[in-house]
Amino acid sequence: MGMRVTFWGVRGSIPCPGPTTVRYGGNTACLELRFDPDDRLVIIDAGSGIRELGESLLKRDLPRGPIRTRIFLSHTHWDHIMGFPFFTPIFIPGTEIEVYGPVSYEEDTLEEIVGGQLRYRYFPVRLEELQAKLEYFQLKEGQKDLGAGLTVTTKYLNHPILVLGYRFEYQGRVFCTAYDHESFRNVFDVQPDQPGYDPEAVREGELAAKEENEKVARFFQGADLLVHDTQYTAKEYQKKKGWGHSTFEWAINAAHKAGVKHLVLFHHDPLRTDAELAALERAYRKAMEGKTSLRISVAREGTTLEV
Amino acid sequence: MQEKERTLAVIQGYISRMPSLPITVSKILQICNDPRTSPVDLNQVISLDPVLMGRVMKLINSAYYSLPNQITSLVRAIIMLGINTVKNLALSTAVLGNLTGKGNFQALNIDGFWRHSLCVGVTAKLIAIKRKRDAKQLEEYFVAGLLHDIGKIPLNNKMSAEYVEAMALSERERLPLFLTEERTMDVNHCEVGRLILKNWNLGAVMEDVVFFHHFLEAYPGTNRDMVLTVAAANHFANVAQIGFSGDRFPDKLPPVVLEELGISFDDIEAMEAGVSREIEKAKIFLKVSE
Repeated sequence: MGMRVTFWGVRGSIPCPGPTTVRYGGNTACLELRFDPDDRLVIIDAGSGIRELGESLLKRDLPRGPIRTRIFLSHTHWDHIMGFPFFTPIFIPGTEIEVYGPVSYEEDTLEEIVGGQLRYRYFPVRLEELQAKLEYFQLKEGQKDLGAGLTVTTKYLNHPILVLGYRFEYQGRVFCTAYDHESFRNVFDVQPDQPGYDPEAVREGELAAKEENEKVARFFQGADLLVHDTQYTAKEYQKKKGWGHSTFEWAINAAHKAGVKHLVLFHHDPLRTDAELAALERAYRKAMEGKTSLRISVAREGTTLEV
Repeated sequence: MQEKERTLAVIQGYISRMPSLPITVSKILQICNDPRTSPVDLNQVISLDPVLMGRVMKLINSAYYSLPNQITSLVRAIIMLGINTVKNLALSTAVLGNLTGKGNFQALNIDGFWRHSLCVGVTAKLIAIKRKRDAKQLEEYFVAGLLHDIGKIPLNNKMSAEYVEAMALSERERLPLFLTEERTMDVNHCEVGRLILKNWNLGAVMEDVVFFHHFLEAYPGTNRDMVLTVAAANHFANVAQIGFSGDRFPDKLPPVVLEELGISFDDIEAMEAGVSREIEKAKIFLKVSE
């Protein structure tokens, strides 16, 4: 009963098929959300994983009637939109898709950014040739009633461009995404002997980062299932500060403190092998043993989880 | 009246494309084109450019972020917006400056205007420190001082001939510049400044500072503390002749200002060394390293 999520792409940055990514998958971000009782469909992100989701919809949904869905994009970095031209339903007359997502202030419209991939320089079919009905809606922070008891709340996260986390609430259950996201940090905390050191800026920066992190934690507070960016380990992160991704350690601690029930570790680094992911899952589970009721799982392509 | 409306329309059109000061452009480009941009440097260069400062504040306080409270801290804005976004904004503002070139600063001397703005910002902050204001508010005093004369930029750039005339008239008749601005252009820099701040959506405190810094006795609002502080700092910058904002014969500071602030002019004059040091440091910082 309620909500189910299926992972069609769990990888960050770029698709990385190959012998070392067979188990967890090499496609980039795409999630399928289903809602009982009528199997209503919401898609999150259009990374390379959306191609296979499209094939599945043709088999499962199309025989019941035209495909009508909403796609919520976390942001418009390429790994989150690259599958869009390969999402077969957009070529089928009768399909109706509403695309939602954030757009940085200086950028083009969502339609130009996402739909703009369908032009001859990148792709053999132009956006104008599509038979499906596509509508685009730029999202900011806020809340939206999606009808039939489903609401979505959006929250800006910390990444080199504007990113939204999504919180879906349905029949008392809560499903959240928090990617791509790096914890806010005090970028002004330099050594006192560095040029430009300003103790006031250090203090203000500390406070600002803390308050922003608290806002994100409140956003996924009490979620039944949270899909969080965990591209790096704490050790790797030392060289990746400012790249806009979180560590396993940060996500686990934040989810625990926010009373999340099940945390799914997501947006795997392209270099991360199956063996490493399995080992990391084991190690973190062991480290958490007896300390928290939080469950963790490494996101794996093709799996479905009940929210 | 028609003339005034025409002038205001010209200025409205200019505000959205207002470039950063030519004096900071090279440094902005240097900092932003470095793949390892230092947030500390970014913060510093923005603090030294009234237009850029206004732009960043406009973005963080815009409908994009629909925040419940007015953000006046640049440090906070950079953390919330992210370095890339701020870099993009700084670059686009600097590029506007490159396009329009230095030729646009015709009547006012750029370096003088920049020193004056910075002096008033630093002095306003030092006065606030001296008066033991809340540490969290200090940056707001600086920003208010930095922006107080922002209205002069469009007037000087879009109405250059009239501005030259306004400055000459002020010299000839020994009148404050805002009065001769009104005579030659029907508007003064306070009015234009408020137009800019409304466009930037920087909130009532900053608007009041910009609009009322020459009209203290007429000031009806609740942000007296900030308005009077900036007026006092402005008076000091004129007396000490740190920088030059075109006003050779500024209006007198009503005695009630210092009384109300509970500070003496000697106290402010004692800040001169500190202010000059800050400006020299800024000047060195803005030199583009080879």
